Amino acid sequence: MGLKDDLERFYEVGEQRREDLSDFIQYGDLGQSLPNEVRVPIKIVDLPEFQYDQRDQGGVGQGDADVGDPVGEPQPQPGDGDEEGDPGDESGEHEYYEMDPEKFAEELDEELGLELDPKGKSVIEEKEGPFKDLTKSGPDSTLDFERMFKKGLKRKLAMDFDEEFLTEVLKADGVSPDRAFEWARGESIPVSKAWLTETYSDIPENERGEWESIEQVEENVERETVQQQIRREGIGHVPFRREDERYRHPEIIEEKEKNVVVVNIRDVSGSMREKKRELVERTFTPLDWYLQGKYDNAEFVYIAHDAEAWEVERDEFFGIRSGGGTKISSAYELADELLQEFPWSDWNRYVFAAGDSENSSNDTEEGVIPLMEQIPANLHAYVETQPSGNAINATHAEEVERHFGEDSDDVAVTYVTGPEDVTDAIYDILSTEDES
Amino acid sequence: MSFDRYEARRIAAELQGPVDDANELAERLGLEPYPVNYWIVDYDEMNELIAYDGFQRRYPHWRWGMKYDKQQKQGRYGGGKAFEIVNNDNPSHAFLQESNDLADQKAVITHVEAHADFFANNEWFGMFADDLDAAAMLERHARNISEYMQDPDIDRAEVERWIDNLLSLEDNIDQHQVFDPRGTLGDDIEGDTDDKLSEQLDELDVSDEVREEVFSDEWLERQNEDEDGVSFPDVPEKDVLAFLRKHGKQYDGEAEKAAEMEPWQRDVLDMLRAEAYYFAAQKMTKVMNEGWAAYWESMMMGEEAFATADEFISYADHQARVLGSPGLNPYKLGKELWEYIENTTNRREVVEKLLRVDGITWRNFTDTVDFERVLSALEPPEALDRLSSDTLDEVAELPDEFVDREALENARDGEIDVDRYPWKVLTYEGLARRHYSLVKPQYRGFLASVGQSDLERIGRYMFDDAVYDDVEAALDDIDFNRGWDRMREIRESHNDVTFLDEFLTQEFVDENEYFTYEYSQAAGQNRVASTEYEDVKKKLLLQFTNFGKPTIGVYDGNYNNRNELLLGHHYNGVMLDIQQAKRTLERVFELWGRPVNLMTIVKEVDEHDIEVAKRRDKEPDPEERGKLIRYDGEEHTIEDLSWEEVEDIAASDVDYDTKPDEWLA
Repeated sequence: MGLKDDLERFYEVGEQRREDLSDFIQYGDLGQSLPNEVRVPIKIVDLPEFQYDQRDQGGVGQGDADVGDPVGEPQPQPGDGDEEGDPGDESGEHEYYEMDPEKFAEELDEELGLELDPKGKSVIEEKEGPFKDLTKSGPDSTLDFERMFKKGLKRKLAMDFDEEFLTEVLKADGVSPDRAFEWARGESIPVSKAWLTETYSDIPENERGEWESIEQVEENVERETVQQQIRREGIGHVPFRREDERYRHPEIIEEKEKNVVVVNIRDVSGSMREKKRELVERTFTPLDWYLQGKYDNAEFVYIAHDAEAWEVERDEFFGIRSGGGTKISSAYELADELLQEFPWSDWNRYVFAAGDSENSSNDTEEGVIPLMEQIPANLHAYVETQPSGNAINATHAEEVERHFGEDSDDVAVTYVTGPEDVTDAIYDILSTEDES
Repeated sequence: MSFDRYEARRIAAELQGPVDDANELAERLGLEPYPVNYWIVDYDEMNELIAYDGFQRRYPHWRWGMKYDKQQKQGRYGGGKAFEIVNNDNPSHAFLQESNDLADQKAVITHVEAHADFFANNEWFGMFADDLDAAAMLERHARNISEYMQDPDIDRAEVERWIDNLLSLEDNIDQHQVFDPRGTLGDDIEGDTDDKLSEQLDELDVSDEVREEVFSDEWLERQNEDEDGVSFPDVPEKDVLAFLRKHGKQYDGEAEKAAEMEPWQRDVLDMLRAEAYYFAAQKMTKVMNEGWAAYWESMMMGEEAFATADEFISYADHQARVLGSPGLNPYKLGKELWEYIENTTNRREVVEKLLRVDGITWRNFTDTVDFERVLSALEPPEALDRLSSDTLDEVAELPDEFVDREALENARDGEIDVDRYPWKVLTYEGLARRHYSLVKPQYRGFLASVGQSDLERIGRYMFDDAVYDDVEAALDDIDFNRGWDRMREIRESHNDVTFLDEFLTQEFVDENEYFTYEYSQAAGQNRVASTEYEDVKKKLLLQFTNFGKPTIGVYDGNYNNRNELLLGHHYNGVMLDIQQAKRTLERVFELWGRPVNLMTIVKEVDEHDIEVAKRRDKEPDPEERGKLIRYDGEEHTIEDLSWEEVEDIAASDVDYDTKPDEWLA
């Protein structure tokens, strides 16, 4: 027991009570999260109590104000928060369950039943693996003695022969060292002529011609195999040879990093009103978290466009509004250019675009689709956010879908008309790739 | 006492000096703090202490973990620096974070001395027990509850849930009554629990007077009546926890019916209720207490230069951070109110004296009195104001009441560094004269701004109105201590509610720019509603009365003759958060074991009215309706109650609404 324990219990309780992920994605406050920390509000961690209705209660503020002036966020009131009253403490509204993007991706996999398996691409390092490779030179400590011993043993096995038997062969009538050598060759006995000559000269005159023929020797003298001999006498000398020396040396393994670059494209033209904008944020943000969690190294590119496209920072991305028309291909042109920095050989690429499907005439057919085909990527996706159903001339999504077909494994088209569609859209997008 | 953990680091040597000095200075300024033990802790330990509300051991519960987690993150992301922890205990214990610099430590120490004075002298803090040993009580609770959790016969999760249930009701006590740990006597639980209870009581050391009070014959009789009565209690019981202790049951999920509480359940209830009472005093005096500490900290640190010049910048920065927090800040509100009280009291003293000058009346006061002349006469003597080692001869000539003669001798002998500690040679009177508020640059206009109605109120019933021949004679008689004397009286007897009620005036609200805001249905957002002090006061009182929570009482423990519980919301014009109320009822059900009901009044506005109101730039008029929310263990039902049925819970004499009639026009 103690504070450590309390902290652990809090995490447990927090985990149980945190908002369901689907709910969170669809309706939750995504804005509280930090780049590397997804913050999911925890329901009911503040214990319920009898309280005033906040709106009905009103409050007191301080500052130069005239009656009727709007007051921003309800000002934090004394009595809120904890009893210590540490100054500047404005929280106490919500608690958050925090998870890193890895955990988020894991949970989302579980919740939506996804199985996206990220591919490793660029080689980031050559790591020394186990000492498996061998070279003919190296420090003594890496000498593969076992190997050399085996080689030596093999050689011994190959070179040894039954000396006693061959001595008897030389005693056969009419067998000269030359004749014996010929015979041994025929029998595949690895004996040298020199040994035979020497042994023959050592055989006393009276013993020569003891056997009538080699055949008679074979019949009467028991031959012993090398194996039997080793077993009887022990290994004795093993002939090591320089050429058998091998030095162990580590294997080189190529580590491939799972790199991903995600291009987020958003239509910011006049027709993209607040609701559509919010739906884009709801769809893109969890996708970003997910891919960030799945890959070792995730880079994000944000492109806003109306009739023209320009690159923006993430902070601004969801907030921008501009006037003007729409030309979606402008964004793909810019994406193509920006993606040069992330070569397809080294990077997994995801290109997500969102808008209300409005596009200038023929641009989809003549501009966007060729570019989508031209830009290699794991996945191209278009998210149509159209809260009120389809507008008449908003056909971009349909055209793309018709061209690539619904079963395409690298192009996904989804339709989001409200927050309730968001998780389905995310599922559609992320499951498109793994169908391949 | 369980402070041995910190024994090794009890107060670093360099801080012993400032601690002794701060205590001496506090006493010279008229404060009477509890003795304070200071402990040096590291950052983690500080976070732990904050999580545990300033103590070292609490019972096991996840919410301490939550606070700790939050505290750590604040430190990590926001630089939320923990400045001060002092707990209400005798002696008080205060914790200093070792990484704070000396200026911060000094600020904390002066702040703590003022808190310790407040704990020792405010009577609301005396209500819990006469002889306080809070740390021991909390430690005992921690031990007992841990034991229950480890008891193989008791499911740990069960204990946790029980605590959660009780915490939902921790503010539903009768905090205006002296804590009565035996609010439970006379019921029919086993003897051993009773023994245990009385043991606990002895440990708490409640005075005999309180025992008498609690066990008065009338009280006992009333308990008996309760048992026999068909409907009880006679008057709504505000201490809901005590009522549940006495009459509640647990809900046995397997048997699907109510069962007597286990002894451990009652015991945990008693402990948590005792803690709720203990912490109530702090919650009830937050504005006053924090303001008091901020006022004296600023007096000691700023005006008496307790921080050296190079420390001062860092101190000013600290002060700005604490007081400059956004929103309504209780430190700031409290400090402003104390300063306002000091100024008004001093002003009243001057006005009373001047009105006794022959020829000055409340009618001609502002025209007759030359305020500049008065102010320069009120300036402290040069020797008091610019006290230094070079002016000791002048100091010696000051009146006796201002000077500590013995200390002055020591100063002359070089034993006291007067340039560092000028206050060491002055008495309370001397310091009061030296820091007289009305002549400070920021308050120089305060005297002249006295309102006609104030003058009339003071002057009208003044009989001996020609005591002095001239202004000089009157000013000679001024009591310069009156501001501080009055402040100390107020800190003894008030709590936040009475404090705000009595001292908040239009002058104060204008000066400090307070306003109320209300939610506009038509505009769909909060709008400034009023800058009238009556309105500001109303809203503040709403926030500070009853911990800022709605008043809930037990109205019937045998509702509809079916043993159901009926709670009533004492409706004061502000409705309940119904969703929260429903969830709280689920908790109450666990403590009652049978269906629970809550009667309340809600305001309803229909969409059509909002539309109409929007078009006319007006606010729709909500309709008040009685409602009965019932929870039977499975589902909630809400039914309408006729107005007659809820008339009793509706307060007719209060109105917290500050919306003007012509608001959005």
